[in-house]
Amino acid sequence: MVAILIDGIVQGLQLSLMAVGITLIYGLGGVLNLAHGQFAVVGGIAAALCLEAGANPLVACAIGILGAGVFGLLVDRTLLLPAYRSAGEDRLLLGLLITLGLSFVVNGYLDYRYANISLTIKLATPSFEVAGITVRSASAVAACIAMVAFALLFAFLKATLLGKVIRSIIQNEVGAGLCGINPGRIRTLIVTLSAMMAGLGGVVQGLFSSLGTEMGNELTSFALIVAVVGGVRSINGTLAAGVLLGIVNAFASYYVGAYLTLIILLATAAFTILLRPAGLFASRT
Amino acid sequence: MSVVIETQEIEVAYGDMSVVRGVSLEVRRGEAVAVIGPNGAGKTTLFKAIAGMLALRRGRIVFEGARFDGLRHYDVVRRGVVYVPAERELFPQMSVLENLELGAYTNYASRAERLKFVLGVFPRLDERKGQMAGTLSGGEQQMLAVGRGLMAKPSILLLDEPSTGLAPLFVSEMYRQLSRLRAEGLTILLAEQQIPHALAFTDRAYVLENGGIRLSGKSKDLLGDPEIQRTYLGMA
Repeated sequence: MVAILIDGIVQGLQLSLMAVGITLIYGLGGVLNLAHGQFAVVGGIAAALCLEAGANPLVACAIGILGAGVFGLLVDRTLLLPAYRSAGEDRLLLGLLITLGLSFVVNGYLDYRYANISLTIKLATPSFEVAGITVRSASAVAACIAMVAFALLFAFLKATLLGKVIRSIIQNEVGAGLCGINPGRIRTLIVTLSAMMAGLGGVVQGLFSSLGTEMGNELTSFALIVAVVGGVRSINGTLAAGVLLGIVNAFASYYVGAYLTLIILLATAAFTILLRPAGLFASRT
Repeated sequence: MSVVIETQEIEVAYGDMSVVRGVSLEVRRGEAVAVIGPNGAGKTTLFKAIAGMLALRRGRIVFEGARFDGLRHYDVVRRGVVYVPAERELFPQMSVLENLELGAYTNYASRAERLKFVLGVFPRLDERKGQMAGTLSGGEQQMLAVGRGLMAKPSILLLDEPSTGLAPLFVSEMYRQLSRLRAEGLTILLAEQQIPHALAFTDRAYVLENGGIRLSGKSKDLLGDPEIQRTYLGMA
């Protein structure tokens, strides 16, 4: 039971890593990124290729995360520009279409070019025991990575000027402009950072189980559910929603099997949205 | 006194509809100038155009001798033109202190000195420093909006309807604090529907009607003008 709970929390943290990028990009740019899972896959596959070429696992993972960031930067500075030139619902719709198209292209290219590549990171010690409970080393490492990433993100948002600027744009873009803040420049930075977080999510997936080229849409879907349940402008909510849905996912998988798990997950999401339509911590960033 | 900002025959439109038509006005250093007029006269549109939030269809804006129109609104702030809209546009889930600090984004190095100044002008904000902006009363939010604008050390402050939605007591308090800022040499362009307050506070005023300037002159002269008294002050 405790082992399932730990697995659920780890899965949840990994989903949150992905979902927080969706939250940030939507909050700052007004674009709901349907290619976010593909950022993770690009990062993961880049790491896998480095591993295959004989690179040190840490270096390979760092290159994968940076690769995802560069991919995000390129997408922001090229494909998303027409969306940023629009406003309101037009931007949202155009952003959805552009990122959906991008996800198809990335999926197609990766399937064609790297169909047999997947990222699996094996640790020297597969498991260890704490108070009589067997814990997978990969779960513990993945949880630590995700928690450190979130702690750094929260500290960055709370304590640095750039973090405050980001929160200000999420809360009120017009108000930020009146303070002399150029939202476009900050947006590029955030898309890059979010893509790197997705890349980290991809690496964590490779650590936890395995990351294949076909997983982009699945990761995007889960991350979107988490972001919506958490409230698409709330980072605290995203973290809480990820952990909640991760735990539901782990218990459902164990007790009722994979087929019903997705239904239970979606039902939990729908129930949460019914109770808290604007997200778990709708009013907080 | 040198001219800080000048609009020359500017026209601003939403689609095909011109809202501001051929408006020319100027504000000199250290002056407080009011733009008064009824709802829908084009005051907010005029201010948004000066602040770079709306494009001009015609005319130009000159700031400290150089052409100024065409800049984005965040670059306008860097030049020293700071707009405080009637909607306030605060960051509701950030503390009063964080809101003020972000006001100093364009001159962040001097934020401590500016903060001391602003909290001196609005001591009530000092008492509420740690409180979320969204939980402040309307009057306190207005003080915060003006305080945030002051943090940028503006060459000119554009104040749009600072008395909107405020209780009479807060309106008087707000104008008392604005008078103090004036005394320290701040240049202010004010749009206001509370005409007695606006005319008592400013040196000169422009009366805007249907997007064009209908009258202009010294505020104290306008306050005694029979037409102004009849149309805007409800005097027979």
